[in-house]
Amino acid sequence: MIFRPFLLNVNESNAFVIACEETGEALLVDAGDFDTHIEDFLHEKRLRLTTVFITHDHYDHTGGLSSIIERYDVQVLSGRGGSGVKGKKVKHGDEVRIGSLTGKVLATPGHTGDSVSLVFPGMVFTGDALFSGSIGGVSSPQDGKLEVDHIRRNIFTLPDEYEIHPGHGPSSTVGIERRHNPFFV
Amino acid sequence: MKRSTHYAPLCCKTPGCGARALTEAEHCWVHIEDREAFLKSLNPGDMVDAWLAGVDMSGRDLEGANLIGARLSGASLAGANLRNAELRRTFLDGANLSGAQLDGANLEFAVLGGADVCDASLKGANVQRANLVGTRGLRANFSGANLYYSRPGNADFREADFTGAHIERTIFRRANLAGACLAGTVGTANFENANLEGVKR
Repeated sequence: MIFRPFLLNVNESNAFVIACEETGEALLVDAGDFDTHIEDFLHEKRLRLTTVFITHDHYDHTGGLSSIIERYDVQVLSGRGGSGVKGKKVKHGDEVRIGSLTGKVLATPGHTGDSVSLVFPGMVFTGDALFSGSIGGVSSPQDGKLEVDHIRRNIFTLPDEYEIHPGHGPSSTVGIERRHNPFFV
Repeated sequence: MKRSTHYAPLCCKTPGCGARALTEAEHCWVHIEDREAFLKSLNPGDMVDAWLAGVDMSGRDLEGANLIGARLSGASLAGANLRNAELRRTFLDGANLSGAQLDGANLEFAVLGGADVCDASLKGANVQRANLVGTRGLRANFSGANLYYSRPGNADFREADFTGAHIERTIFRRANLAGACLAGTVGTANFENANLEGVKR
């Protein structure tokens, strides 16, 4: 697997490229901006961007999408539940294939109704649902409960050593967040 | 031999062992035959993206080492010299860095959650955006360090020294800062539910 994180200028959001070494197919997680560093990386590694996975429909995760669609022939995947993102809608349990890599969609609503995470062997991309030491902001106590319940059920049941790559801030692991995140312990 | 790395790891060749092989080795740290020879074979100038989970490098001289993106989860680096080391995006979760020298090190985006940095020195280190969730750092010295937007939630930094540190947007949510020194710090941090008993300002 090829993996590369990018820190974007828009609201200090993160984007990630993961790619299959064998086929050169690449997936971009979130597109808050279309950073030239991402384009340079794809070019340098001779990767073919085939898929963009949007964790939720907020500008700092989707702002660069139109530029990407102009330049690349990509499939855009996003969650159901009110997302205005055009493309294919995915739901909990759906598979996402990038060459020989297979990921799985996890429902993590609360921050927004369409919030989804994407897990590959060894790592999970959580968007704004779960951060290092924090969780995504919500607009009601019900949404907060929904978010916490889904994180417990769908993220904290992954192996402790799995890396968490959130929409903002540093990466983490399932073990760190399960044991130390102030919103859970 | 194909190189085992952080994001393209190989399995330990010991039958029945499910762990990953160390970079430049065929076995994990538990099953490697000659640990000393393995450690001597490492090139501190280029350990980028290395898989070094669980290794014991306590007391080693790793000044200026390049460990960008490496995975050192659960490693022992107690008392190691990591001055000016490149530890950007390095996974050090659960690692033992007690008494380590990290002055001037670059720890931007590093993952130190659950690590032990008690009595470690991080003077002038770049700790921006680092994961310090649940980090244990009694008496650690962060004086002059840049902790911008780092996340020491639930960390134990009793009697730690943050003199002159940059703490803009640092999230000390529920951290234990009893007896810590925050004199001359720069910026506005989040101290929600933190223990600030006896903090020196």
